[in-house]
Amino acid sequence: MSAREIFLVGLSHKSAPIEVRERVALSGEALKGALGELKRMDGVREALVVSTCNRVEVFVQANGVEPARLFFTSRVAEAADHLYVKSGVEAIRHLFRVSASLDSMVVGEQQILGQVKEAYGVASAAQAAGSYFSRLCNRAFATAKRVRTETDIGRGATSMSQVAVELVEKIFGNLKGRAILLAGAGKMGALSAKALAVLGADRILVTNRSPERGLALAEQVNGNFRAWEELQHLLAEADVVIVSTGAPSYVVTREMIEKAMKARRHRSLCLIDLAVPRNVDPACADLSDVYAYDVDDMEKAVEATHEARRGEALRAEAIVETEVLAFAKERETRAALPILAQLRRRAEEIARAEAQRTLAQVGSKLDEKGRRSVEAMAQAIVNKLLHGPTARLKQAASSGDGSLAGAAAELFGIEGEAPRPQSRDEAPAAASRAAASERT
Amino acid sequence: MSVVILRIAAVLYAGATAAYIVHFARPRHTRLATAGAALLGAAFLVHAIAIGVGCSEFGGAEFFSLRGGLVLMVWLAAGAYLLLLRFYHLPTLGAFITPFIVVVLVPALFGSPGHPELPPDAVRHPTLTIHILSAGLGVALFGIAFGVAIMYLLQEREVKGKKFGALFSRLPSLDALDRMVQRLVRAGFVVYTVALVAGTITATSVWKSAWSWDPQQIVSMVVWILYGALVQLRHSGWHGRRYALLTLAGFVLVLGSMVSLKVVPGVTRHTGDYGTNAPAGGPQ
Repeated sequence: MSAREIFLVGLSHKSAPIEVRERVALSGEALKGALGELKRMDGVREALVVSTCNRVEVFVQANGVEPARLFFTSRVAEAADHLYVKSGVEAIRHLFRVSASLDSMVVGEQQILGQVKEAYGVASAAQAAGSYFSRLCNRAFATAKRVRTETDIGRGATSMSQVAVELVEKIFGNLKGRAILLAGAGKMGALSAKALAVLGADRILVTNRSPERGLALAEQVNGNFRAWEELQHLLAEADVVIVSTGAPSYVVTREMIEKAMKARRHRSLCLIDLAVPRNVDPACADLSDVYAYDVDDMEKAVEATHEARRGEALRAEAIVETEVLAFAKERETRAALPILAQLRRRAEEIARAEAQRTLAQVGSKLDEKGRRSVEAMAQAIVNKLLHGPTARLKQAASSGDGSLAGAAAELFGIEGEAPRPQSRDEAPAAASRAAASERT
Repeated sequence: MSVVILRIAAVLYAGATAAYIVHFARPRHTRLATAGAALLGAAFLVHAIAIGVGCSEFGGAEFFSLRGGLVLMVWLAAGAYLLLLRFYHLPTLGAFITPFIVVVLVPALFGSPGHPELPPDAVRHPTLTIHILSAGLGVALFGIAFGVAIMYLLQEREVKGKKFGALFSRLPSLDALDRMVQRLVRAGFVVYTVALVAGTITATSVWKSAWSWDPQQIVSMVVWILYGALVQLRHSGWHGRRYALLTLAGFVLVLGSMVSLKVVPGVTRHTGDYGTNAPAGGPQ
């Protein structure tokens, strides 16, 4: 029986065009079915499929990479040209990086962690993911959380509508008791108005030159339509004004804002001009208590976020690397842990007993330093003697070979069962490992 | 003795300041803000002990000097800020308040208060304590309003200048800062009014006249009118930048007059013999 290893086969926005990605992507029942199929394939013990609009990745703990590759090639032949394959620590690192949003199209975006969590939930419910993926995924999620709290990778706005939200938040705090005015039926305007809903605006007012489109837009953003002729009046009523019309010149002039500011008794006003060419006279920004932004300003803010995130990503990679190595090492040790722990305990008991016996006989002739030397010598013999077997048992266990551990148990006269689990999940993990070695 | 305790308090204040400033630079470490508040609380308590010990040492005389007045005011400001923390989540405000506390306190740490002359018994009127404490608290609240107004102006520059830099993300929203300035000005005005009323009662009793064109009285009245106007202007729509600037101006006037009236000898009957040898007089 060859060694069992973790393999990853996948494609993402970095390797495959959307046409291929959308054909291999799976969700719902189809995903469950595919997981079942994977699990039934020869040599596959556990499987996990992460399928989002940007990536489809299959993780398996198996004897070989073929089952995971078949997942793609059996359904979409041309996927073969876009696949990447990773195994062992490389595959683990990939999962950690994906969960921490380091492999995302927009680095640091928040959704991917939820998507991986969901993928694990589905795989777990379909009984495709077992104890190994449970530990792997939990570690990946914990790492992602660490990255999020210890770096600023998730900070800042990555889209224009997010910039709008951030700006409005810094001016008004929230929008309770305030109104948003959406002037013009541009697509970006509607997106921003929708995004601003998180700030809890009381009312969304919509105005447009053509009432038909205006009414449709009002319905879309859950707002009230007002006639375009009322614009001057609306400027006094709304606190956030998003302008995105197709007009070739300013539809909001400095004079209009001056008048509106008087009418609104100088309550702060935020003007967001999403139109190109601009619809809001930039001179409006000179008025006090008026905060005006255009597309350029918003784009600069997005670019600043990306730049900041690039710096934070380096720090995040370092965290991921530490966690990956810690996990890989832990995995090695855990595999050989039950038998090693017993072996060491037995040896240390003997060493301690023998040291005590010697000390009982000659201890009175020794000073404190001498007594400690005797104990240290006994301990040193144990360490030296067990060093070689420990290393070899770990190596064998990490490559899935349980026979050596069995032989060691037999040779040293140790019972096969782990007497005292190191942690709560140690016992089931050890048990499932024992079960696995029976099957092989 | 009280100076030694005050120095311990100052070290704690400095610790709180450091924690708050580092928190401002690294807002992710929220524990620093907690540590800052804890240190400030400890400093406040130690400071209270220092004031208590000082009272038993000098019979309250030290609070009639500029040094003592500032020591008292700083203590009240720290207390007011701690109280504010209980109601509002403003971790970044600490970085703007605590440095002022340390700067004002440091001169008081060197050189002992000596043996300040006790003001004559004639001015020891029951309302005097109320007058001193409420004046100190009023000025402390104006001081915190000053700190928040600075935060407002900094944030306004970020928002208006489209900078979106470090300050932008760290400082609270303009609206929150604006309302905080307004609340502090209003609270300070109420307390300051109490101080003036108590002062007037004291003056009537000690100087035999409520109003005697004493420079301290004139300045206090100007300050009172200014902050009263600020409270009133709010209702006519004044807010934001102009409001913040007026708050700054008000506090500069308060602090400037406090220092200059104490430093120039004999200019006001709030110092020296408190006018008890002259036809009229009264304490600060």
